[in-house]
Amino acid sequence: MSLSVASSTTAAATKVSAQRKVRPKLALKRVLLYVSLWVAFVWSVFPFYWMIATSLRAKADIFRRPPSIVPQGITLQNYVDLLVSAHFWRFAMNSLILTLSVTLISVFISVTAGYAMARHRFKGSVMLPLFMLYGQMFPPVLLLIPFYVQLRYLGWLDSLYGLIPVYLSYMLPLCVWLMRGFFSQVPHSLEDAARMDGCTRWQAFWKVILPMAQPGIVAVATWVMIHSWNEFLYASTFILSEKNRTLPLGLSKLIGQYTTDWGVLMAGGVVTAAPIVLVFFFLQKHLVAGVGGGAVKG
Amino acid sequence: MTIARAPRPLRLRPTWSSVFETGLGARVYPYLMVFPAVLLVLGVVVYPVLSGISWSFYDVTLRKLNSGSFTFVGFKNFERVFADPVFVRASINTLVWVILNVVAQLGLGLALALLLHRPVRGIGFFRSGILVPWVVPSVVAVLTWRWMYDPSVGIVNEMLVRLGIIDSYRPWLGDTATSLYAVTVESIWKGTPFVMLLLLAALQLVPRSILEAASMDGASGWRKLWYVILPQIRVSFAIAAVLTFILTVNNFNAIWLMTEGGPLNSSEILFTLAYKYGFQRFDLGLASAVATMLFVGLVIATTLYLKLMQAREAD
Repeated sequence: MSLSVASSTTAAATKVSAQRKVRPKLALKRVLLYVSLWVAFVWSVFPFYWMIATSLRAKADIFRRPPSIVPQGITLQNYVDLLVSAHFWRFAMNSLILTLSVTLISVFISVTAGYAMARHRFKGSVMLPLFMLYGQMFPPVLLLIPFYVQLRYLGWLDSLYGLIPVYLSYMLPLCVWLMRGFFSQVPHSLEDAARMDGCTRWQAFWKVILPMAQPGIVAVATWVMIHSWNEFLYASTFILSEKNRTLPLGLSKLIGQYTTDWGVLMAGGVVTAAPIVLVFFFLQKHLVAGVGGGAVKG
Repeated sequence: MTIARAPRPLRLRPTWSSVFETGLGARVYPYLMVFPAVLLVLGVVVYPVLSGISWSFYDVTLRKLNSGSFTFVGFKNFERVFADPVFVRASINTLVWVILNVVAQLGLGLALALLLHRPVRGIGFFRSGILVPWVVPSVVAVLTWRWMYDPSVGIVNEMLVRLGIIDSYRPWLGDTATSLYAVTVESIWKGTPFVMLLLLAALQLVPRSILEAASMDGASGWRKLWYVILPQIRVSFAIAAVLTFILTVNNFNAIWLMTEGGPLNSSEILFTLAYKYGFQRFDLGLASAVATMLFVGLVIATTLYLKLMQAREAD
């Protein structure tokens, strides 16, 4: 009995010593892991921090040389300057109207198309989705010139509603493709059950399938919103007058030929980025669930 | 005497959508549902692409367009483009820009994905932070970097001086030797998190049993990475590479808002060159020629991408 106890304690002792031998190596690995995580974190977040820090500095502090990493004092003056300038609200309104209309149109149109492609067999039901994916890859520079000429011809140049079809050109194809993916995850049997219970095709789609596919729809809508809100190339080419500028365009025009008010510019950057960052972090789970396809229990 | 009431046949309230239940209506139904999308895509994607390509064969400037007197010139626009020394410069720059971006974003993205893959304490915090560059709107990100590169009070200069890498402040974006690389750093910063996300998703699909088997057989960390993990995620890796390629070729904002392709075309890529031909010289034919060449390259890349997608689905 005592012998067995002794042997078990020696066994435990050798085990402990073996762990001791391993431990420094493990600890070193752990330290290395956290050091590299922190390096990646600082590298990723620092420009974001720098934007916010600059926006909260007084003018003298911004142009102090050498620059200090931590602001000397915090002031909201840059935000006040930005928000009282009449144009800022105009730009924000323009961005909002444009984003909402593009989102509504592309979601409505891609919902029906995506559903039909996922559910029904018809001529082109195989080729069409692939074609949509191709449409997404067309380089904007090739579309730019035909759009310019077309909008000029229609007299839609320099107008917000002229930008709507342009934005649809690079949103819609991928929307349809994504929607098709979400609808194909909704089980067939559900629709069949609804039809057996007497729903017409449309009712089954509207009352049964759409609610099931809702996470996917939210994901696609968010994706469109983020991209229309951020779009710069088309807006900067087709919008000529100041009153029709969107937020990213208005922001870029704050860069002066000789001097730039970086405090106000960075404040504008914070205000432009804020809705996107908020939407992303609030919907993160939802978006991942929608994209990951875990939204529907099959 | 009771009147035997025949039970009324059970009938649904007819709705307008009953039309689609039988016959012609049922056959037309799916076409009706895809019709708006197809019409819009034909109008805003297919037609512009075709007219863009056809214009690369016309001698057309904005003035000639107004008077309506533009002529077919065959491949003359392409000849003029090839004769332009700026085009050669832009092609080389595009090559450098694409290679640096793709290699760095894939390398860093893979490293980050491997780092964030393990379940250690606080990983959610690090993951959210590392996704920040991807979430920030591209115009905002580019302008912030432009401010950080400022030649007189930029934080990048100050940090490099303090680290002892340079002796004095430099105009990173205003120097022909550094402008392209300075923009590339921003582009890598912005693009890496997306690659990381793609690869992280792939890593999470690698079956645990395979890794355990490898560990049992005594494979070290590096060998496990090279012989087990990488072959498992190779298709996702290739997809990430093609997507990064497409996004980099089409990345206009970074270059335009930091340097406009300058100074002296030192950071000009084909995209910005086509833009300048079209909207500064208003030579639409020349711009379309450059755009068409880019288009061909991208179509090849896209085809590759779709093939890879199908390969993944088949796996």
